[in-house]
Amino acid sequence: MPLTPMASALETHGPEWLRTMVRIRLFEETLADLYKRGELVGVVHLSIGQEATAVGVCSGLRDRDQITSTHRGHHHMLARGLDPRRMFSEILGRAGGYCGGKGGSMHVSAPSEGAVGANGIVGGGIPHAVGLAFAARTLGRDAVAVAFFGDGAANQGVFFESLNLAALWRAPVVFVCENNGYTEFTPTDAVTAGESIVSRAAVFGIPARGVDGDEVAAVEQAAGEALELARAGGGPSFLECRTNRWRGHHEGEESYAKPYREPFAPADPIERLEQALRNAGHDVSGLRASIDAEERARIAEALAAAQAEPEPPVERAFADVFA
Amino acid sequence: MMEVAAPSSAKRLAPALADGIARCMRDDPRVYVWGEDVTIGVMGPTRGLADEFGPERVIDCPISEAAFVGAAVGAAIGGLRPVVDIMFSSFTYVAFDQLVNQAGRLRYMTGGQVAIPLVVVGSAGAAGSNAAQHSEVPSALLLHGGGMRVVFPSTPHQAFWLMQGAIRSDDPVIVLHHPALGSTRGAVEPEALALGDAVVDPAGTDVSVFATGLMAHRARAAATTLAQEKISVEVVDVCSLNPMPREAILASVEKTGRAVVVDEARLTCSVASEIAAEIAERAFGALQAPVHRLAVPDVPIPFAPNLEAAVVPSEEDISAAVREVLRG
Repeated sequence: MPLTPMASALETHGPEWLRTMVRIRLFEETLADLYKRGELVGVVHLSIGQEATAVGVCSGLRDRDQITSTHRGHHHMLARGLDPRRMFSEILGRAGGYCGGKGGSMHVSAPSEGAVGANGIVGGGIPHAVGLAFAARTLGRDAVAVAFFGDGAANQGVFFESLNLAALWRAPVVFVCENNGYTEFTPTDAVTAGESIVSRAAVFGIPARGVDGDEVAAVEQAAGEALELARAGGGPSFLECRTNRWRGHHEGEESYAKPYREPFAPADPIERLEQALRNAGHDVSGLRASIDAEERARIAEALAAAQAEPEPPVERAFADVFA
Repeated sequence: MMEVAAPSSAKRLAPALADGIARCMRDDPRVYVWGEDVTIGVMGPTRGLADEFGPERVIDCPISEAAFVGAAVGAAIGGLRPVVDIMFSSFTYVAFDQLVNQAGRLRYMTGGQVAIPLVVVGSAGAAGSNAAQHSEVPSALLLHGGGMRVVFPSTPHQAFWLMQGAIRSDDPVIVLHHPALGSTRGAVEPEALALGDAVVDPAGTDVSVFATGLMAHRARAAATTLAQEKISVEVVDVCSLNPMPREAILASVEKTGRAVVVDEARLTCSVASEIAAEIAERAFGALQAPVHRLAVPDVPIPFAPNLEAAVVPSEEDISAAVREVLRG
């Protein structure tokens, strides 16, 4: 029996997805640990539990494509292929960070690596993706843009405006709403009217669907179709990837925030991928053990290298305001 | 003697802005125009462009300031050079996150990885009972927002050259133009004017008057009137607000020893306040009288014609201020 497209993608990409998801998890757990030890500055929003959405969407991207991301965007950046060392450097405020230490955790950016960047303003990057897509098409660049944003951004005016503009322009853009159930500290359902977020996109005539954001193969397939449509000149698409935020809004919030949600134990997207691979006949325990060992070493090395870096030279505080 | 061809056939300010855009569009296929009713060009800067460049490059947008400015930020990062006509510059308030937090910040926050060659053009100032939400001059807000260049031409010559300078700049530039000056006549001279330049006209020896937009016009008219009273006024048109021509401002005060700073915006934290502070800090020794700021009182621009006229500095207000600093 021939494999379904999803099974075939799992066969081809499954081990690499697993590696990237493990890398993201380890990267974020390392940050949680650093925060606890008082070794991080600023506010850090972790993406643990949301790895499958980032990896599934970025799996179908090409070098020239661009993503925009959010304050909770480490997973998007790592899934896009950014270097963990330069990410750690940026988050630690070191000279060798992607932004020279001027962006930090919420604002990692690497346009030359296909990630125009994270954005500290909820919804702020959504119209940028529309413009990037428009520019790519206009300049004949055969590239698409992906806007990652959260459920909170779906209540911003610029979200609706951007969807409208993208539909009118038939811009080659894919909107990916990562619905993790919480708008900062407030349950999304409590502040979001209507049937669903995905239904909001449909009214603009944009192909829109909800996806289990914790099943990487399903995300990859849905995103792949959206990317294909965009590349073929079919305009924008919209995905609502339903996932779970395992951690708080940000690390350290328990210092002031009373508990605001029930304990829960969502299925782990990494374990779900392992199960899928096991079902497809892979020796998952061997694979996972080797990925774990390699990625642990890589993350440890990246962190050590970042920690050994100097602070940015003070004159950098006065540079880059204007071209 | 050989006749030097005028660089632009535009005889009025708004068409000179449009001609400046058209030059850039002809030279550079990456220049696109979009915004509110740009194929008609309601306020003038984009009028006629759609005829030459078509609806593919001159694009009418929904009234979604945040999205079309935000899309321009993305398009600029992606390699285009968008010119966004936001119609009234008061509408920048609707798009302030995209202007201040995004266009004005991303180059810095990314450590210089991106350039944002974006122009936003909008009318600024009171032009006959448009009331508070269509009549403001937001230059001080934009300057304080940071990361954005701001120019405010008051003649066709300034408009033609500063618009081109704005589009060719790799930074976000806000081009303000006064709705009462759209049909102002004047020749476009061949000597280019650049971002950061001031225009001294007329030169004078008794008092320096610093102004932009309609206030610069009124200052020039006041200078003509005061010349009949044997008062020699030097008008420094600060048509580039960022970069601000600080040395030209100081040089004028060093020469005259007296300064009137006029602003068609609220006095508190105004551009006039910035210029006055600069003079006080760096040219105090040259001053023969206190610096005089003449601006809109801290009220919105009212609707009724007599009320509007009561809050916007007039030519006579400027003349009175000049006489006062001469007495001081």
